[in-house]
Amino acid sequence: MEISGSDQLEYYLSSLNELGEILIDADKVEQIGAGVLRLTLGTIMASKGVIFLYKKDTEELSFLAPQGIDKAEPISPPKKFVENMKKYRYGHVVLENMPKWITGKLKKQILESKTKIILPLFHKNHMLGVMCVGNRFMGEEYSSTDVKILEIIAHHLTKALYNYELIRDVEDKKTEINLKLLELETLFDISVAISSVLDTEELGEDVLWRAVGILNASKGMMLLQKKTNPILERSATFNWDEKTSLLSKKLEVFKKIEENNTGVVLTPENKGSLQKKLNEKHLVVAPLKAKNKTQGYMVLCNKETRHGIEAFNQLDLDLLTALCNQAAVAMDNAKLFKEITEAKQFNESILSSIATGVITLDPIGEIDSINLAGTTIMKMEAENIIGNHYMYLFEKDDEILELISSAEIENKIRSEINIPFFTVSKETVINMSVAPRLDPEGNTQGLVIALEDITDVSKVKNTFKRYVSKQVVDELLDDDAKLNLGGEKREVTILFTDIRGFTSMSEKMKPERVVSTLNEYFSQMIDIVFKYNGTLDKIIGDELMIVYGAPIATEDDTERAVTTAVEMQDQIKILNKERKKRKEPPIQFGVGINRGLVVSGNIGSRDMMDYTVIGDTVNLGARLCSAAGPGEILVSDSVWDVTKEKFSYNPLDPINVKGKKDKISVYQIQT
Amino acid sequence: MADFTLEVKDEGDIVVIETNGYLNNVGGEKISQACYEKMENGKTRFLLDLENSKVVNSIGVSIIIEIIEKLQDVDGRLGYYNLAPIVEKTFNIMGLTKYSTVFGSKSEALEGMS
Repeated sequence: MEISGSDQLEYYLSSLNELGEILIDADKVEQIGAGVLRLTLGTIMASKGVIFLYKKDTEELSFLAPQGIDKAEPISPPKKFVENMKKYRYGHVVLENMPKWITGKLKKQILESKTKIILPLFHKNHMLGVMCVGNRFMGEEYSSTDVKILEIIAHHLTKALYNYELIRDVEDKKTEINLKLLELETLFDISVAISSVLDTEELGEDVLWRAVGILNASKGMMLLQKKTNPILERSATFNWDEKTSLLSKKLEVFKKIEENNTGVVLTPENKGSLQKKLNEKHLVVAPLKAKNKTQGYMVLCNKETRHGIEAFNQLDLDLLTALCNQAAVAMDNAKLFKEITEAKQFNESILSSIATGVITLDPIGEIDSINLAGTTIMKMEAENIIGNHYMYLFEKDDEILELISSAEIENKIRSEINIPFFTVSKETVINMSVAPRLDPEGNTQGLVIALEDITDVSKVKNTFKRYVSKQVVDELLDDDAKLNLGGEKREVTILFTDIRGFTSMSEKMKPERVVSTLNEYFSQMIDIVFKYNGTLDKIIGDELMIVYGAPIATEDDTERAVTTAVEMQDQIKILNKERKKRKEPPIQFGVGINRGLVVSGNIGSRDMMDYTVIGDTVNLGARLCSAAGPGEILVSDSVWDVTKEKFSYNPLDPINVKGKKDKISVYQIQT
Repeated sequence: MADFTLEVKDEGDIVVIETNGYLNNVGGEKISQACYEKMENGKTRFLLDLENSKVVNSIGVSIIIEIIEKLQDVDGRLGYYNLAPIVEKTFNIMGLTKYSTVFGSKSEALEGMS
């Protein structure tokens, strides 16, 4: 059947219409290539053909779409082929005979596809590819219309390939921009980590992982310098065998980094000692530097691509250096934070272990910290103390408020001892010291209060005060060694007083009057005892037993005992004048003083125990007192012997005393 | 860190791939190989459990993009769960999450992919 010209035209037009649809519908360049080649060969009645894409960077022709032949590896065309294609870029080449500029693998493919016409696909001066069309069906010649149609199709294909190339370029640029964005985000993340991650190990690992990922490295390690030796500590590794050999900071590569103040890219040509030690060829090494001091190094290995390993480049080193700079600052911060935390913990452990309560006040007077001893003394939980203003916390204690306030106003240390602490209880007594808190520049940043609970000491003092003078109590509390309450033999002076005729006198008095009379008498006598540091051992009825030399012995014990007795007799004269005015009978007493060895210590039962002295010396003292008449002071030989230079005595006739075979010498003080 | 390993499990029609290690060239290739084998058997929905892959590089990402493209040809889907923040950020920036889905947990992922 004869095909009319109009039918032929309609056929070509419908082909061109289909071409438009292929170009619009296809998503991928492969779809375009396959669709266009199928349509082209169908339109011009050919069975074989191939569309090649030309890659400018590799100067290769790759198979985009083959039909009737097998797809093969990309071909490197002869240079002259590209030059000739340029010549025919607005038309086509009909291959009657194989031209000389088609050689090698390309020639083989041309022959295999039985290419009759080659259509260069050029966009301006840039070759995008070529379309090769094989023999027409049954060896017929191509008509000029066929060739025109081929040129039209090739023109549209060129446009489509160019568009595709543009899109691919945009996609590549997009990927490139995304990778740059990823780099920036990584740098940003690390800068955020500077203020958030404060664990050096965690930080090092995090930075290393990010660096490996962002630089497409196959593995990496972070090496830190040690103060004590040149071996670099492997603080973090990624994908790297832990067993690799030790690395010293004295290796040539690290010295070079230090000298040039920049990292290095190592390629197989370098053959350096680090590469040998790590058994790797491709490395990039950057220093971790903060405050101009190298803290260590980041080492990454093998830059990965889809086609294998390639060398790191300067851009990789720049990026790694930027990461390392950020990381070094972050790690320096973390290290500093760790040191501060440790120092803080050290201070806190000291504060919590001391018995002194420490309270700190901020500049506006609110409590911002308190140690364990402080909460114990305050008998409150820290959470109920911190945040309160001191004026609220100590509102019951005017003395304390005044002390804090004066330290605050005068900006000076203020101390006070034996302050009642009503905030805790009526019985609590403290020593308090308040000092300004100064910052490194010397500016006041609040106050520090040190408080010591002396309630127990105060109780001891108050208790002891009943028996000994304040001076003795203080001496005992200051030096425990002086206090031996366990029982010992010691030389003491004993003084006894006994009111003469008190029993008959008291019989005529009302009981309450008896008590008030004794209290008045004892009060004045005991004041004198304490004045001369005597220890009030006992009050038995109207009798006093005083000890000098226990619990604390001094050289003038006996002298003080005699002085006490003399002053007592003087004082009773004064008291009796008062009593006379009150129309009360006078009080008269005798005194006996002896010196000698006694056994001293806490004597009694577990429930009732007193510090006292026992022995013959005590008994003789009591006997001398019994022998003394009203207003008389009798002393033994031993007392007289050590005090005869200071006091005037009248020797009396020796007397018999109970428990002694021989008479004993007695001396009377001249008053 | 040990070499990259993975475990492939079928959860009904969904293939769950649990990975362990650096998602780089080697890791990506192993994942794509596992996916393509399953795709040949007609599987089209894949979930990656990346709990034990804390680091990914751009080569790993490009391989996942290839998997996504292949899955698009067969109307399939790819999803992930248990992503480390760095990995999720990388996926977002590289545009993976436009064509695949990040889930918060395995149960959410299985429900979302059904």
